[in-house]
Amino acid sequence: MLLESIKFILMGTYVTIAVIAVALPLGFIFGLLLALIHVYGSPLISRLTSIYSTVMRGVPPIVLLFLLFFVIAGSINLSPFLAGSLALGIISSAYQLEIFRGAIQSVSSGQMIAARSIGMSRLKAVLYIILPQALRFAIPPWSNEVSTVIKDSSLVYALGVAEILRRSQFVAARTYKPMLAFSVAALIYFLMTFIANRFLDEVERRTRIPAH
Amino acid sequence: MNKKLKFIIVVLFAVLLVAACGPKEPANQLESIKQAGKIVAGTSADYPPFEYVDESGEMVGFDVDLMNEIGKRMGVEMEIVDMPFDSLIAAVQEGKIDISVAAFNYTEERDKTVDFTDAYYYAEDGFLVTEDFAGEINKPEDAANYSVGVQTGSTADGWATENLVDAGLMSDGNLFRYERMDQAALDVKNGRIDVLITDYIPALSLAEGVGGLKVVYHAEVSTGPVNIIVPEGATELTAALNDIIAAMLEDGFIEELSVNHIGQ
Repeated sequence: MLLESIKFILMGTYVTIAVIAVALPLGFIFGLLLALIHVYGSPLISRLTSIYSTVMRGVPPIVLLFLLFFVIAGSINLSPFLAGSLALGIISSAYQLEIFRGAIQSVSSGQMIAARSIGMSRLKAVLYIILPQALRFAIPPWSNEVSTVIKDSSLVYALGVAEILRRSQFVAARTYKPMLAFSVAALIYFLMTFIANRFLDEVERRTRIPAH
Repeated sequence: MNKKLKFIIVVLFAVLLVAACGPKEPANQLESIKQAGKIVAGTSADYPPFEYVDESGEMVGFDVDLMNEIGKRMGVEMEIVDMPFDSLIAAVQEGKIDISVAAFNYTEERDKTVDFTDAYYYAEDGFLVTEDFAGEINKPEDAANYSVGVQTGSTADGWATENLVDAGLMSDGNLFRYERMDQAALDVKNGRIDVLITDYIPALSLAEGVGGLKVVYHAEVSTGPVNIIVPEGATELTAALNDIIAAMLEDGFIEELSVNHIGQ
């Protein structure tokens, strides 16, 4: 019975990973694009990205999740899984925007001037000079965001997605042993963040620019 | 030029006509369920013996059998989706699910946003305490002398808020609202709260499952009729469900469920 319960909760890991696999790349693409727009765009556009980031970071993820699923997806038929993953991705994009903005801005401004002076276009300078450095700077804060997304993925349980947390609740309700059920969930989440962070540490080490 | 304009107008009308005659919009919820050949029912599978997930990962229980039978009798496929109890009413309201079967009791508050079918079952409230509970509960209001736990958004929550807290019998700080019953039952066992008010049958299951607990008092306090929740204004669907419920009560199907799942 114990093994069956653990196995049952473990099956939720696939769903959790699927949620993360949608939310994290979505947040990455939007976050990076918005960061570039913020740094290199016109003052008006730059202001708009600031508002986006402020609003999205000012709303609790669970509230945005409910809003997206019950209000926005009222007319478009989004599955709980998709609505939940998209909402998490949108929230994450605001945090990733700030991470990448900081990273881009921490590349010294002389680099851009130097690149332009040897005849590179602005776009080329961003792509070949600024971003390769900025993305390296972004790894430590980004791995923090990865942990957050892994843990926040548990929130989609509120929409009825049978991921790790919801499955633990099923087991807790049936066996009346919540301690066991939630310990299993905690262990799975811990292992996921641990492995992800270890992996990113390794990426950081290997991509480090010598003498930087 | 004039001819061209006429031609455009004729084409426009033709397009509109075709659009209007396209797939016929179903007239009401019942129609659209029949048209789709599928009814989607929501429940919160953490409430044994009404709805829960068994060892093999199957959703089972009184309400689950009821839902499947309803699908059969309606002649459509029954799709059961799980979501936390507090999300169910919003899901019915927003059309995410067609109906919700989750041991729902009637309340005026809920009636404002959704509709109810006729009752398929009658429930009582159970007052759950530890086995060595030394206090006395002879009438529901006696719970005010102790710290009380309820499930958020349940009828017991509504009753305790109105008749114990708002009535001035106890302070709001003494009423503890839990998301799930098993958490609340463990808090009774651990002595963090004295009394847990919930449906009588699930209370008996909790007492047995958690251990060291007993139901000290039971009566129809906040509960009573247990109904299916349907979207506001879905009269045809409600009528169809009412017919099925009446037939199930008549031919003993519900009695059988009650024997199988509740043991009485």
